[in-house]
Amino acid sequence: MVSITLFLALGAILFCIGLYGVLTRRHLVIVLACVELMLNAVNINLVAFSSIGPFANVTGQVFTLFVISVAAAEVAVGLAILIALYRNRDSIDVIKHDLLRW
Amino acid sequence: MSAFDANWSLMTPEIVLAALALLIFTIDFMTGIREKKPYLGRLSILALLVSAFLVLFMNGEGGAIADIFIVDTFSTVFKIILLLAVAMVIAISMHYLDKNDDVYQGEFYSLMLFATLGAMLMVSSADFVTLFIGLELLSISSYCLAGFKKHQRKSTEAAIKYIILGGTASAFILYGMSFLYGLTGTTSVVEIGKSIPALYADYPYIITMSMLFMLAGFGFKISAVPFHMWAPDVYEGSPTPVTAFLSVVSKLAAFALVIRVFFVAFWSISEEWTFLFATIAALTMISGNFIALTQKNVKRLMAYSGIAQAGYLLVPLAVSANYAPMAVNTIVFYSVAYVLMTAGAFAVISYVTEESHSEEMNSFAGLYRRSPFMAIAMTVFLVSLAGLPFTAGFVGKAQIFIGAVTGELLWLAVIMILTSIISFYYYFGFIKQMYMREPKANDANLKVPAGLSAVITIALALTIILGVLPGILTNFFMEVSHWMF
Repeated sequence: MVSITLFLALGAILFCIGLYGVLTRRHLVIVLACVELMLNAVNINLVAFSSIGPFANVTGQVFTLFVISVAAAEVAVGLAILIALYRNRDSIDVIKHDLLRW
Repeated sequence: MSAFDANWSLMTPEIVLAALALLIFTIDFMTGIREKKPYLGRLSILALLVSAFLVLFMNGEGGAIADIFIVDTFSTVFKIILLLAVAMVIAISMHYLDKNDDVYQGEFYSLMLFATLGAMLMVSSADFVTLFIGLELLSISSYCLAGFKKHQRKSTEAAIKYIILGGTASAFILYGMSFLYGLTGTTSVVEIGKSIPALYADYPYIITMSMLFMLAGFGFKISAVPFHMWAPDVYEGSPTPVTAFLSVVSKLAAFALVIRVFFVAFWSISEEWTFLFATIAALTMISGNFIALTQKNVKRLMAYSGIAQAGYLLVPLAVSANYAPMAVNTIVFYSVAYVLMTAGAFAVISYVTEESHSEEMNSFAGLYRRSPFMAIAMTVFLVSLAGLPFTAGFVGKAQIFIGAVTGELLWLAVIMILTSIISFYYYFGFIKQMYMREPKANDANLKVPAGLSAVITIALALTIILGVLPGILTNFFMEVSHWMF
């Protein structure tokens, strides 16, 4: 049987890649994809714990289904806002959106 | 327990609110796209009041649906505060929506009601799954509301910033939750609270790490420093009523969530997190108040003022170790005061900025000449936000201060007093504009619409009454022996 630490390591790596992408990428679609990557890291954690964790039970899988559906709703709203933004500014480059700053 | 045995009647207020929100949504698309629909605003206020009435009288002594959905004094009080706050925000937005033709009215109101539903779920849930669903219902509706003026560059920019950072914060919260689930095998906050002491002895680092992840995510939602950078941008770009909504409802619902999670799940390791909260509270008060000093845009200034207020609200959490019921008492009282003064101030700000088509500080110039009632009301709200005597804000701050001193966190109490004194400067900037500047030549006298003046009057009356006779509320809170199950 595969040790759970491998799955947790995969989750941690995905989470870090996602966070790195959110912080550094300039293309807003990729930034949204990176947010999804972070949520999927959570899903891997939850599913791993629910199948081979110390207290394996089905709750984690149910939680994962909720996370997946909420993430879908979030990315749908995100893309809608992104299209509105593109129509206003003709660009979805993060650097160019600097109307609001202190 | 099977799903059919549960006491579903506990959810009546939520179910009624959801049904009425859907009804408003349906009426909206049955009555054409671009008309003015003031009746929908009145209907949403009615929906909120009905829901508040049901919260107050239907739930009785409370109970729980399988440890997932909990109705106790804490959730009841917070739900009523939130529902009344949203009713005030909707009364503010009715005037705003009349002025702005590019806003789809029905969707605005129903989104606001769905966001309220999310906030109510957050307040009453004691399970990570429901807690997350409530949080996301509130957040996703707020993302839409922030970008509601979709032809305006600032509004869409605010919305995209909000959704990206908000999604990241949700991922942080969930990542923390996933480790707690893995180590305990349950998502129930109460069950996790029971198994934390033993687990903490075995895996201190994993528990601390998941706690820190959740703290970062929650810190974003309550806009505490160092997770506050989104707040000024989003508050400035959003339509003004939405700014009021974000600064009142989102913040307080997130506070209720923090209290529930940290007081129930992490209570046994409170010595690990009280110092963290003290540090965050100190940072939040200092940077919120100092950055506010340099702001010229009214909504941006209110964002930094809101950050500073979140800092004051965090102080009781930092001293809670030995005074849990006391801490909840002070937080609830200050929340009431915060709702009244912030909603009242935003009612005035929304009206003045709309009339003068400018969000700069000098749009308030000579307000006393143009509308004495608004100028005096705004003065009271600002004095209350600054925490001067005879206002609700003063009583709330005094309670927090006394709590900090009895909790032996003198340094935090001192920081709180010093930063409050700094905050006088920017709050009195408004007052200087209103009384000591001449109005611009073409500014006519203002006639306040009925809905707005109702909100301002109620907020003004309650701010002063709670400032002079705080006993009305504090005596009631003192009698509460169990805030939570």
